[in-house]
Amino acid sequence: MDFRTLIPSPDVLQVHWAWFQGLLNVTFVLHLILMNLMLGGVLLCFVNQLRGSTSRLDRFVIGKIPFTIAFAVNFGVAPLLFLQVIYGHFIYTSSVLMAWSWLSVIAFLIIGYYGVYIYGIKWEALGKARGFVSGTVACSFLVIAFIFVNNITMMQVPETWLRYFDNPKGLLLNLGEPTLWPRYLHFVLSSTAVTGLALALYGDWHIRRGDNEKISIRQLGLRWFVGSTLAQVGVGLWFFKTLPPEVRSFSGSLPAWLFALLLSLSIIGTLLSIVMALGRKVRPAAVVILATICFMVGVREVVRVQYLAPYFSPADLPIAPQYSPLLVFLFFFAGGIALVWYMVRLVITGLEVKS
Amino acid sequence: MNYPVWQLEWAGGGLLIALIAVFHVYVAHFAVGGGLFLVFVERKALAEKSASIMEYARKNARFFLLVTMVLGGMTGVGIWFTIALLNPAATSSLIHTFVFGWGIEWVFFACEILSLFLYYYTFGRIDDKRHLILAWIYFGSAWMSLFVINGIIDFMLTPGDWLVDRNFWSGFFNPTFWPALFFRTFLAIMLAGLFGFVTAVFIRDEETRHTMVRYCGKWLLGPFLLLLATAWWYKKSLPVDLQELIFANMPELTVFIKMFALVSPILVIGGLLMAVLRPQNIRRPVAGILLVVGLIYMGCFEFIREGGRRPYIIRDYMYSTSILKADLAKVQAQGVLKSARWVVSRQVTDENRMAAGREIFNLLCLSCHSLGGPLNDILPIAQRFSPSGMNAFLASMGKANRYMPPFAGNTEEREVLADYLTLGLVHNVPRVKPSIVDLDVKPYPYTPDAEYLLAAWALDGMSFTSNPEQSGLDFSPGHPKIRAQLIRRGEAPELMSSEIKISYVVTVNGVKAQGEMASSDGYFQAELPELANVQQPYHLLELEASSPDGNILAKTRVMVAQSSEVDCNHCHGQDRAAEKQGLSRATAANILERHDTRSKTALKARFDKDEVIVCASCHADSSRDMAGSERVLNLSASIHGFHAGYLVDQGAGACSFCHPTAAQGASQSLRGIHHNLGFDCVNCHGSLAEHSSALLKAESAAGKARAAQLLKVVGETSVPVDSIVARVPWLNMPDCLACHIGFQPPETDTAFNQWTKESGQIFHNRLGEEGTLFCAACHNEAHVLYPARNPYGAKLDVQQPQQYQGNSLPLGANRACKTCHKVDMDYEMHHSGSLADFRNVPEEEVGRVGVEVKEE
Repeated sequence: MDFRTLIPSPDVLQVHWAWFQGLLNVTFVLHLILMNLMLGGVLLCFVNQLRGSTSRLDRFVIGKIPFTIAFAVNFGVAPLLFLQVIYGHFIYTSSVLMAWSWLSVIAFLIIGYYGVYIYGIKWEALGKARGFVSGTVACSFLVIAFIFVNNITMMQVPETWLRYFDNPKGLLLNLGEPTLWPRYLHFVLSSTAVTGLALALYGDWHIRRGDNEKISIRQLGLRWFVGSTLAQVGVGLWFFKTLPPEVRSFSGSLPAWLFALLLSLSIIGTLLSIVMALGRKVRPAAVVILATICFMVGVREVVRVQYLAPYFSPADLPIAPQYSPLLVFLFFFAGGIALVWYMVRLVITGLEVKS
Repeated sequence: MNYPVWQLEWAGGGLLIALIAVFHVYVAHFAVGGGLFLVFVERKALAEKSASIMEYARKNARFFLLVTMVLGGMTGVGIWFTIALLNPAATSSLIHTFVFGWGIEWVFFACEILSLFLYYYTFGRIDDKRHLILAWIYFGSAWMSLFVINGIIDFMLTPGDWLVDRNFWSGFFNPTFWPALFFRTFLAIMLAGLFGFVTAVFIRDEETRHTMVRYCGKWLLGPFLLLLATAWWYKKSLPVDLQELIFANMPELTVFIKMFALVSPILVIGGLLMAVLRPQNIRRPVAGILLVVGLIYMGCFEFIREGGRRPYIIRDYMYSTSILKADLAKVQAQGVLKSARWVVSRQVTDENRMAAGREIFNLLCLSCHSLGGPLNDILPIAQRFSPSGMNAFLASMGKANRYMPPFAGNTEEREVLADYLTLGLVHNVPRVKPSIVDLDVKPYPYTPDAEYLLAAWALDGMSFTSNPEQSGLDFSPGHPKIRAQLIRRGEAPELMSSEIKISYVVTVNGVKAQGEMASSDGYFQAELPELANVQQPYHLLELEASSPDGNILAKTRVMVAQSSEVDCNHCHGQDRAAEKQGLSRATAANILERHDTRSKTALKARFDKDEVIVCASCHADSSRDMAGSERVLNLSASIHGFHAGYLVDQGAGACSFCHPTAAQGASQSLRGIHHNLGFDCVNCHGSLAEHSSALLKAESAAGKARAAQLLKVVGETSVPVDSIVARVPWLNMPDCLACHIGFQPPETDTAFNQWTKESGQIFHNRLGEEGTLFCAACHNEAHVLYPARNPYGAKLDVQQPQQYQGNSLPLGANRACKTCHKVDMDYEMHHSGSLADFRNVPEEEVGRVGVEVKEE
């Protein structure tokens, strides 16, 4: 059987696919940052417990995690939505092939979410059990990341889908994927890096206001960031080497310079951020990392197009134009941003008035 | 067709989606109503300057945050994951149609999260006005989420004009959008009260606790009437056919509709109890119970709404099998195995038959059925069916069985699936061919010189019994009856009746039954006891006519049939070995269960108490003079009309599911000349759809609404239903003269739609033109017309022609007038053409007495 015959037919779009790709990229960047903070924050708490640290840093960090989980999920919904619009026929298929593990993401998420609340609310009472709780949460989130990496890779390799006929009960994973482990490590390391950088930013913000007690936090954050990012350089090389030659050599439909440019910018940004972090230039490093994440998201999307180039190009998707829903969405999107701005101002001014 | 099928077994049949969706929807509605509750509780605390109420508001907000944000939010994503796994095609369709709707919902979801966090974490840290604004923003965002999701959910049930214009807004603001929005809003407010109880009962201060519990009670009970009003509005907004389907024709939903109706007053009473009762040891458990009751309430509503969509996932657009309505005909023509992508067996062969069946099962059944699971388990269903019964059932889908999609494969695939379900998935015992042995019955010797001729025949050659004593269910058309006429032979034969005694004797299963026939005007008649023998249906009666002084005038034998080959077990299950026949108790039990479910009766309970259920006690049956109930259909219209939709396109094969006419059956009751010439039931009665239509039309004309309903689903008829002539069972029968116009050779082979108009025209009551002899005296019963051939012995059904003529032809055929008249006659007094050559002489008769070899 030819695996190409298995690829489902896509549905019709309402507007040009580039709209969805743009929305996917923007929301995915935000999701990545929040997801990195959520996973990295929990890993930091867990490591803190493993080391037997007596600092209350973990309590501070864990208190922020529910917020990041809620928004990481929320900002995960949007890119998954737009991904389904362009690549639904690929990701629905791969999801069915690994249905049980894909669905278990929800269970792990709920376990992790409540674990975080328990850790924060019962911090005193938990005592030594904090290690167990943070370990459980960290494992839950690491498993979720692993499942995502499996699905996102399996959707772009239809040649592996024939395995369904031997295992139709939704119990597959994509363990034979060469990029699986480097890709996974890439995300885990970026979570500790981003969390480290966020801590450093927090410390830096206080230090700038004369609170020198936060120097240790900035140091810790930068250590996490630099350590993770240095390791990332090695993992990145490994990741690149495992990409299929036709993807690496870039012989597909998109112009080769786009891939080369985005990849180069990502590498330069990574190296530059390390240099800045070593020089304790926290805010510039954060700006560079934000840009780098954007470039990396670009690389990721370009690579996906290359993977699927033999079977599919988003430009092939049929369109039956209906622009009014898009306009209404953009109206509400802008309104939402305004409302967020309004609420934040409301609270900040409210806190100032009260104090 | 497009996507692989997640082969869930136990957890299939919608279990996952039911568990996640019902739970999520419950919490999600609470998240909306609870938002408004946050606002009003805080306002109450401020208005009453109550610190303890404000403390309750804060604690309730934490509970709210933990429940809605974690469980509500995560299970919401969970539903999305689940539907994409269980029905990727439908999910893709919803995503592509409403992507910007989902996008808007996502914006409000983000605003909900932010406003709720800010609200909770700024308790007491910002001024009251700002804090309340945050609560209002939260509620507004949550309600707008509901607004958006409501449009998409209701689109699936009532897509409205979207089906035509494919416009986003037509689909979104669909016919049930507004009633559903208000219904859900009021439900959400009630749930806020319900959840409020749970937190309020834990308030430490007794007065505050009592105040707040009563306050929650107002939230629960306040919108209740509005909820009922919007529920009514919701129902009225459904298209009429959908209302009919959900509330009348989908027995599977009845339990949820009933439960919904039952739970409503429980919630009211629970709410009142909470308001009145103060003791904590009562209030706390009641609060917990009410929370569970609320979940059941929500679950019932969701099951009704989801179930009401059947057989579609997006009504009138995509079936639950993911096949588009517009593509169905193409898939049926091409075959599902060739149309689907994720299939190995493109062709069915003997080797892969079961594997192909499994693939068809995966594609067409698994989306709704589990294998051994708690929801829609297919195993007990499959166990009820024989392969042919299942095949017929599959063909009925989308027609009589409107809550299932039409079978989307070709005829071969339907048979393959039926075989897989009944022989592969479950191992139903295949039916074995009955052993038919020659009974070696010889007629009385040929006696051309006898003084008397005793002609005898059964009134019904197709008689069957449901074995009431064995099965507990009685729908037999009465006991078999025989009739006889005694003729003194002579140039002017004399019909004997006065003072003559005719007795009969028959032995069934070694038990002898005997009796005397009652004399009537020119004939004798007797009703026999039950004769059915589970092994073979034919019984030879010995008849003896004697004079008042005891002299035996004539003897003859007649074959009487009463079959127990009533194969309800094709579809209604059984509990015995395949080689047996006769209705079993298990089969009867299933029939009554189905009847109870569909017609809201309680027959099974009576059956379980060993009462024999007599169908004719409600469904009039003139074959046994039972008037039944005026409101319900007569038995014939009901039983044929109901089953017609399930036995579509089967020709005469449909009849043999229930009547003993199967060519391979134990009875093979069709054995007269018409059958031997290749005619079947349909030639005279029409197809089952036509036969049923005629019966139902009479009942419909009598004002019985059920008849009109059934008329819509009986299946296709060869002539428009409007032109089918209504008929009353056992009175308006197929008329022989419809084909044999003026007793002449026929020019058509279809007698359907031309019924006898009165009892005297029915074949077994009709007299020859001389006005004394029954047609059947010379020709035998309508289904056993001479020269008949019985599977249990060539001469079994031709006793009298053999005895009096030495052949198997009708008495007097081929100018054998001497059979009665002792001399040749030249006047066709019995009917026109009675002196003509017999046209259809069977090969084996050629050369016998009175059957000359014809030279062409």
